[in-house]
Amino acid sequence: MDKKREGQRGKSAQRGGHSNRGKGGKSNEPVKKKENILDLSKYTDKKIIVKYQGGRQVVGILKGYDLLQNLVLDETFEYVRDINDPSQYTDELRELGLVVTRGTAIILISPYDGQEDIANPFQE
Amino acid sequence: MLPLSLLNAALASTVLVELKNGDSYNGHLITCDAWMNIILKEVIFTSKDGDKFQKIPEIYIRGNTIKYLRIPDKIVDNVRIEQERAAQQGGFQKRSNDRNQRGKGGRDNRGRGDRNNKKRD
Repeated sequence: MDKKREGQRGKSAQRGGHSNRGKGGKSNEPVKKKENILDLSKYTDKKIIVKYQGGRQVVGILKGYDLLQNLVLDETFEYVRDINDPSQYTDELRELGLVVTRGTAIILISPYDGQEDIANPFQE
Repeated sequence: MLPLSLLNAALASTVLVELKNGDSYNGHLITCDAWMNIILKEVIFTSKDGDKFQKIPEIYIRGNTIKYLRIPDKIVDNVRIEQERAAQQGGFQKRSNDRNQRGKGGRDNRGRGDRNNKKRD
């Protein structure tokens, strides 16, 4: 019995310690946590272009997102790159459909509408 | 001159951002945060090889993919001037603080007071 009690005390003490630490962490979190500078709500149900680490690029309709910028894209198409030269995009598109993409892999988000290819604007 | 404070000073001006993959973006810096995530508007995209150009109304770039940003000299100069001014003002404040601390030291800590006295002599 005594041993059990000691064990329980030990555990409860540990728990107490943990919960305190947890509280400390939680109280720090709101200070650290900042709202994302990009308000993705303005892109919901809109076509966006997303570029990923490694060079893949997709276009899709934004259906959902979270704090970590994981995205849900619908009617998604990947821009297919040249097999021999992955830095060049072909005109081909590969259908992916409904996808969840991971926020940490994203390097760039931009709206699809309003993008246009132009001639070199830096030449004089 | 801290990188992020310089970046904050560059808000609303035109900057050039080169990503690690070599692509670069020219545009108005709208916002940035502690991770150097940035939003640019009225952007001109240049591909790595410099053979493709695009106009994009708005982009969000994740900070950890940025290689470097080019910021107008004007901004850098302004920050430098402002910092010098702040340093002068800060200098006065520091001196007054030192005096206070010395006073406290004299009261609370005799050892320090003695040392100070020796130096003065």
